[in-house]
Amino acid sequence: MILFLDIFTTVATLFVVTAGLMMIFGVMKIVNFAHGALLTIGGYTSYVVTQLKLDPWVSWPLALLSGAAIGMLVELSIVRPLYKRPLDAILATWGLSIVIGQLIVMTFGREVQFVDAPFSGTWPIFGVEYSAYRLMLLPAALAICLALTGLLNGTRFGVKTRAVIMNEDLARGIGINSGRIRFITFSLGTGLGSMAGALITPLSSVDPNMGLNWLVSAFMLVMVSGHSMASLLLTCLVFGTVQVLISTFLSPVLGGLAIAVLAALTLRIRPKGFGNG
Amino acid sequence: MDNTSNTTPVEQVIQMSNAISHKSGLRYLAAIGVALLVVGPWIFDTYLLNILVKAFFMAMVAVTVDVLWGYAGYLTFGQSAFFGIGAYAAGLIFTHSGFSASNAIIAIGAAVVVSMIVAFVVGWLSFYRGASPFFATVISLVLPIVLVQLTLSGGSWTGSSSGLTGYETFDLTVEAWYRIAGAALGLVAIAAWFIVRSDGGRILSAIRDNESRCAYLGINTLTVKTILLVVTAGIASFAGFGYGAFSGVVAPELGGFVLGTELIIWVALGGRGTLWGPLIGAILINVVTAYLGSSMPFAWQLILGASFVLVIVLLPQGLVPVLLKPFGLGQYVHRIPHLAVRETAPVSDLEKTTPAILMEGVAKHYGYLKVLEGIDLKANRGELVGLIGPNGAGKTTLMRCMSDGLDRSAGNVSICGNDIQLLPPDRCVKFGLGRKFQNANIFESLTVAECLRIAGTTRVTPSLLKQDKHLTLPQYALDVVNTTGLSQKLGAVARDLSHGEQQALELAMVLAQEPRLVLLDEPTAGLTKTERTQIGNILSSLAHKYQLCCLLVEHDLDFVEEIATRIVVLHQGRIVMEGSFREVVNSELVKTIYSGASHAPMETV
Repeated sequence: MILFLDIFTTVATLFVVTAGLMMIFGVMKIVNFAHGALLTIGGYTSYVVTQLKLDPWVSWPLALLSGAAIGMLVELSIVRPLYKRPLDAILATWGLSIVIGQLIVMTFGREVQFVDAPFSGTWPIFGVEYSAYRLMLLPAALAICLALTGLLNGTRFGVKTRAVIMNEDLARGIGINSGRIRFITFSLGTGLGSMAGALITPLSSVDPNMGLNWLVSAFMLVMVSGHSMASLLLTCLVFGTVQVLISTFLSPVLGGLAIAVLAALTLRIRPKGFGNG
Repeated sequence: MDNTSNTTPVEQVIQMSNAISHKSGLRYLAAIGVALLVVGPWIFDTYLLNILVKAFFMAMVAVTVDVLWGYAGYLTFGQSAFFGIGAYAAGLIFTHSGFSASNAIIAIGAAVVVSMIVAFVVGWLSFYRGASPFFATVISLVLPIVLVQLTLSGGSWTGSSSGLTGYETFDLTVEAWYRIAGAALGLVAIAAWFIVRSDGGRILSAIRDNESRCAYLGINTLTVKTILLVVTAGIASFAGFGYGAFSGVVAPELGGFVLGTELIIWVALGGRGTLWGPLIGAILINVVTAYLGSSMPFAWQLILGASFVLVIVLLPQGLVPVLLKPFGLGQYVHRIPHLAVRETAPVSDLEKTTPAILMEGVAKHYGYLKVLEGIDLKANRGELVGLIGPNGAGKTTLMRCMSDGLDRSAGNVSICGNDIQLLPPDRCVKFGLGRKFQNANIFESLTVAECLRIAGTTRVTPSLLKQDKHLTLPQYALDVVNTTGLSQKLGAVARDLSHGEQQALELAMVLAQEPRLVLLDEPTAGLTKTERTQIGNILSSLAHKYQLCCLLVEHDLDFVEEIATRIVVLHQGRIVMEGSFREVVNSELVKTIYSGASHAPMETV
């Protein structure tokens, strides 16, 4: 039973961490390598909230806002000139993550810090006691998935965004301001990244490199899953399950590698990933 | 399809930086390098020498990253992994078997062989038909991560996270190491310099510019890239061995993802695609990092990160070329070869009687959408077949099905009697196919002469060390070059040519490979009246004088009338009519297809 809960909460964590990266890659075909740094920013937002003795719930919206604000600046200054050079955009955002990382180290030091969770303890479920916070990630992941799917499929912004995804030149031709769509998408993606950082920190701890560990897994999941949030959820489900099973029954080291290696093999065999069916 | 007309800024900049490679200036640089190598031990203190030795080994890897990324266009984060393998080969063997001359040789051998095997696997994973360069980069990210995890889980054998230290190694002074490492770096850099500038080495830049054109010139780009990766992995690993043997310490970070990204940073700041830029960049950054690392570690990393971002966004050609430009490192002298006629391979009697192209029951579906159905088509040597039909009739799709084995959904295609099965374009080309695309599909950053030479790769194997003074072309390709005036522009960079010249260049490139079957997709689109007449004369001589089989998609019916021996009409994915120009033009069927009404004129572009 614990195994099932482990699997589902791991999948939820993976999804939460990956959604922001997916948002940006799906619309802009740009991989935001600063995503790891944004997770770290989210983590430190929680830390600041804890230090100021504010209500821990505040950290989620605060992380979302600070991530989005940074995203706006970054989109305007760094990402916009690189739309036509996607490989260079990877590099520039990686450079940015170095800058963010160093600024964090200079401000907060290199030490590992801990934050307060909005709630703690365990809940009884299916006859076992399980970490309440981990369980809470399940509805959080579902809510994010539904909200984003709703945004992309049910709103005017979503229609325009999908038009930009399919054919940017045509979209511009019929009067869609694709620059603004990209701007909003990028800020939303960075906001989600930062919020994910705040969401996952109570499970571990905060340090300047916390985001880096997630970056590659998130990156591989996005590559495999293609465009839609639903396929991302499915990809997280498949690879998350495999990761937990390997970690539990073989070795945690192999489990840590499972996502990266399996995703690479999947891409070799099915270059389009799970996206097209 | 390839979109060669849109050059992104980064490509232009890479092209520029290639052009900034020059002669006298570089000789001075090389002389300074040799001088430093000789006098270094007397003027530098031990601390600096130590740093420089390590920097030299790192710079060797940076050079390999530049060859892969700056020249061949493969952005890789994985070269650090091979460096790590080399370092650990030294650390593991010297720790567990002790140091001896024979163990050192075994360690070097193991470093190089293991890296090459790993590189081969990575190449297989990264380079396959239809893979985007993006995926190759993704795979290069996974490699160092996997390697570091394996090292961490190696327990006391690999020393886990603290690595291995205190093993016995070569008993050499730091001065000796300085000269050995410096000389090795010099050799690697010089070898790389000769190779990337050789006729054969230009293929790497051609792959970066336009991989699909390379494939349609019969070059197996996947094999080329895999071999390149294997060779550079061997060199990176050798450098790693040197590092491990010199420093007496190996740690998982040496093979890690972060070092992989640092290598990219050094190359980007130094100037990708120049070799000497990354070399200087890697050494300088390593030295400065060592000095500032203790006093202001975070600020220095911050400056490095920020300048990296700035360089990528604003100055993709890197800092060193810009800084050194005032010192005469700016003029690029393209060597212009002499043109000469190359005898074409003789045609056997069997080849004379085999149809150049034979299609039976070829179909192409996209899901339920049928683009082509039941296509039977045969064309012989000396024929010039005009393929006409309204937009969307499937003309270009038909050409795709002839030139890539994976493109059709059903049916058989043979080129000069060879069944193409599911073979890739480069194999179809070897059967005698030559394909001219609708948009000029050339190598934008290469000169006209280089484009033509690469086009003839399957006929004349280019040297990997030298630039040939002569450029041989078959007579008909030479005719194209001479009549269109390209012979006067052999040293011009292809991007700077006019639209008509680019089209002519592509035609000459297709012909340079001595095809038996030439596919031409709207060769006259956008050309002037004069250019159109020139191309027309050339095409009819190809078929009638040189007995090639030409298949021409064309909207301009007047043009087709003048040169075609036969017309094939395609409509809604089927061949609806075949015959002479007069028969086709006068048929009611064709008038109906083109206009929906019997009296309307036919479509022209």
